[in-house]
Amino acid sequence: MSAPGPTPSRSTPDGPASTDADSEAEVGQGGADDGGRRHTHRIRDGLERRAIVLAAIATTALLVVMFYWPVATVFVESVVVEGALTAAIFLELLRDPFYFGEFARLVRGESPLAVGTDLLSSDRRLGIVGFTAYQAFLSTLLSLALGLPLAYVLARYEFRGRRTIRSLTILPFVMPSIMVAVGFVATFGQNGTLNAVLSALGLPTVSLMFSLEAILIAHAFYNAPLVARVTTAAWESVDASAVETARSLGAGPMRAFRDVVAPQLYPAALMGGALTFVFTFGTFPIVLALGGIQLATVEVFVYQLVQDLNYAEAAALAIIELMISLTVLYGYLRYEATHTVRARGIRPLPRKSLRPPTRSARDLLPRAGIGVYAVVALFVFVSPVASLLYRSVADPGGGLTLAHYQFLLDRQAGGAAFQVRPWPAIRNSLSFAAAALAISLPMGIAVSVLTTRRYRGRKVIDAVAMAPLAVSGIIVGIGLLRGPVFGLEIGSYRITVAGAVAIVAAHAVSCYPFVVRTVAPGLESIDRSLLESARALGASRTRVLLDVELPLVWPGVVAGAAFAIAISMGEFSSTVILATGTDQYTMPVAIERFIGRRLGPATAMGVILLVVTSISFVIIDRLGGESVGL
Amino acid sequence: MRALGSEEPDPPAAGEFEAALEATRSSRENTDVPVALELADVTKRYADTTAVDDVTVRVREGEFFTLVGPSGCGKTTTLRLIAGFESPTTGTICFRDADVTGVPPEDRDIGVVFQNYALFPHMTVGENVAYGLKFADPPGGVSTEARVAELLELVDLAGMEDRAPDELSGGQQQRVAIARALAPGPDVLLLDEPMSALDAQLRERLRVQVKAIQKQLGITTIYVTHDQEEALAISDRVAVMREGSPQQSAPPQDIYRRPATRFVAEFVGDNNVFEGEVVAVDPGDGTPRETTTGTWTGTGTGTGAEPTPTRLRVAVADAQFAVDTPVEPGGPRPDPGDWLTFCVRPEHLERDPATNAFTATVQSAEFLGETTRVHLEWADQEILLRTHDPLEGEVTVGFDPAAAHVIDWGR
Repeated sequence: MSAPGPTPSRSTPDGPASTDADSEAEVGQGGADDGGRRHTHRIRDGLERRAIVLAAIATTALLVVMFYWPVATVFVESVVVEGALTAAIFLELLRDPFYFGEFARLVRGESPLAVGTDLLSSDRRLGIVGFTAYQAFLSTLLSLALGLPLAYVLARYEFRGRRTIRSLTILPFVMPSIMVAVGFVATFGQNGTLNAVLSALGLPTVSLMFSLEAILIAHAFYNAPLVARVTTAAWESVDASAVETARSLGAGPMRAFRDVVAPQLYPAALMGGALTFVFTFGTFPIVLALGGIQLATVEVFVYQLVQDLNYAEAAALAIIELMISLTVLYGYLRYEATHTVRARGIRPLPRKSLRPPTRSARDLLPRAGIGVYAVVALFVFVSPVASLLYRSVADPGGGLTLAHYQFLLDRQAGGAAFQVRPWPAIRNSLSFAAAALAISLPMGIAVSVLTTRRYRGRKVIDAVAMAPLAVSGIIVGIGLLRGPVFGLEIGSYRITVAGAVAIVAAHAVSCYPFVVRTVAPGLESIDRSLLESARALGASRTRVLLDVELPLVWPGVVAGAAFAIAISMGEFSSTVILATGTDQYTMPVAIERFIGRRLGPATAMGVILLVVTSISFVIIDRLGGESVGL
Repeated sequence: MRALGSEEPDPPAAGEFEAALEATRSSRENTDVPVALELADVTKRYADTTAVDDVTVRVREGEFFTLVGPSGCGKTTTLRLIAGFESPTTGTICFRDADVTGVPPEDRDIGVVFQNYALFPHMTVGENVAYGLKFADPPGGVSTEARVAELLELVDLAGMEDRAPDELSGGQQQRVAIARALAPGPDVLLLDEPMSALDAQLRERLRVQVKAIQKQLGITTIYVTHDQEEALAISDRVAVMREGSPQQSAPPQDIYRRPATRFVAEFVGDNNVFEGEVVAVDPGDGTPRETTTGTWTGTGTGTGAEPTPTRLRVAVADAQFAVDTPVEPGGPRPDPGDWLTFCVRPEHLERDPATNAFTATVQSAEFLGETTRVHLEWADQEILLRTHDPLEGEVTVGFDPAAAHVIDWGR
């Protein structure tokens, strides 16, 4: 960038002054003949320089239209009745024992003491919100109970397949929830594999369908691996030197664990617990499929209200749900801010062999415990998927059959227009996922770049950009329906964003936070001197991103793309709302349509979803070259 | 046999040769002080490597003993064996007279300081220092608070109890780690490269401080470092390790002046190592006496009590050098025809020498402040020289026969 001639000042390398300097330099060297080339050059150069800014503007626009506007619409609907601002809908809800059980009496002004005693009695009423919190609390406990032992095994033992299992813990998180629900129905249903196994063993069969237990186990399937994941990472970042120091100062092994290791695990376990609570509090497809209406949670009921076109009440209920979730998240973040410790220069704790080195109780007991845990884990984590695969080819008579797949083919060939057909579902899922990927990848990268640089207000941008992760799909779905889909009236025109466009945009909004989660940590850890070297050598900010940063964080980008594909393919909550009454239904929506009437075709559809998602995952992984760096 | 206290192993010597004799004496053990720590035939093998290979070491009460060597030489593993973080494959470890080989670290009365400080990040400075006092009463019958204050005072961090570890600088954190290790009054202090994460200036300051604290408390200390200069500066005795076993255990002066192996000679400080054939052995009366049978007939033939100076004539490349070496009475001695390795420190190479002159070519020079290190080439070998004069082209250098140190010889 040695620009001779009259270049007055160069304030910043990115700034307009420097662009002028470049073009003036070109005039000096190339002369007037090159005017046209210079012009295109300049446009390209300018575009390139501003690529990050342009991506940021596009991201903001998409977020505003497809997230903040819809959410705001929901909020407005819940507090505005016939043009007047009112809290009536909220108060109505809060006073209704149907929603808040005994707590509603508190709002109606009854004595807390009387309510408290009634709550302790056996025939207490929790209401829908109370029940939702109750099942979320139990789900959290179960997820911790199943996740922490897994973290212990993954962090402290070395065995074949350890890395694979560690990678697999991410899988439930991206599995289409409706597919998992079908898997659980196939496992726990009256004619499910669990009862088949029990009766084959000569044991009495159980009825878990539409029971709290089934919901809790399904929630643990999702969230225990999440708990295990964050806790394993924390456990691996415990410094062996710290443990050894405690030992050298006189602490025994258990005491050293309590004083040094455990305090570093609490924040992670708490994070896993808080996230589990929030996720299971906003649970939708699982309960829709496994709970039935008698075990409906808030989210299911909101969906019910939307179906009944009771938007105001649905919006108010959804806002209450959101408030409770955000309170839990906020409480957790406050805790995290005061309890996170930085690890540096650490030497991780050594891993032990699963084969006991001696026959002493100290070596045998933990390993026996791991054996028991392995059986439980196999039941919770493997049986739903196995049942799904098995039931899709199982014959009621006990043999194998392809009848369920045949049903899908027949439906494709001869289904009525109003019936759900498999091929459009597959085609829609694939094209929506591809489009969502194409949008969410640059979005996620732009947000990553913006949130990893140091400047004032970075935290605000981070929060604004990551909000879609915290707001449930149902709220976004209603909002989209009442906002962009319904449209905005400007003069005599009505601008609407509907159909496939709305679905793709909604998917992109729910996918890109995952791209940020996988790309930002890598960007954050890149040595700043690498970027500064590239800038000093003349590269623009965008070129540095393309030439230096992205190649270095490529595994994260690939992982983000894989996530985006999986999230889009599995997205249910907002898609089911947006696709109602259209032919834009996706595979998860198709499964939901089948599940009520025919489990067989639902499982077959579930297997197709599983296969298509897996293949997309693998293709992304292969195209990316590097393995998923998670 | 004279036994010198390890505190003053280096009385001023009249000449290099006398100093060498002195060093020989001082390297003998001081048997007046009881043994604090003993490793007997300790070996640690992992799946495919032997990290520590048959090490026998005895450390006396109050001694500052340093394990030094390049990375992977087994020095840290040795420290971890002493601490009880690892157990030896074979061999025994004794504290005082008690065998602690199978004893877990918490029952060993040790204090450990790691390179990365390993401060408990979720505890304050005060809680860190007080941690060991949960398991042992503070020495001297004082309260925990008083003991913590006393130790923070000792490491110059008085009043820092309520700080969080990550509010402190690296040097301060390391001093907290030292205070924490010392708080319960351990018998042995183990320091694993405690300075290597700090910058050079801080390292030198902390080194003086650590040494002063160690002297003040008189605590037996095992120190691991890869920095030979640090090892020489801080220790009463140094063990230079290589591939799992100590090459030489001796006071710093002795390690520097009388390296026992070529590895030690080259690892500790700059050195010029020469190899050549012994062509003559002169018992010291000025008359070279050629012998081929190994029959010794010169003066100082093992009848006296003191080592006898013996002059050797060694053919190195095209030159012949005179080298003086003390021969222990009745001890082994080089014979004509033996292949001999000896070394001459760069500061002992002289210009325009009286003896052992050779002409070398100047390759490059590094100005180091108080001196300049000149790289010469002679007989396809690099020769290092310390001087203040600017040199170039061909220079004639040489050394006093007494300044050479014989490392080894054999057929």
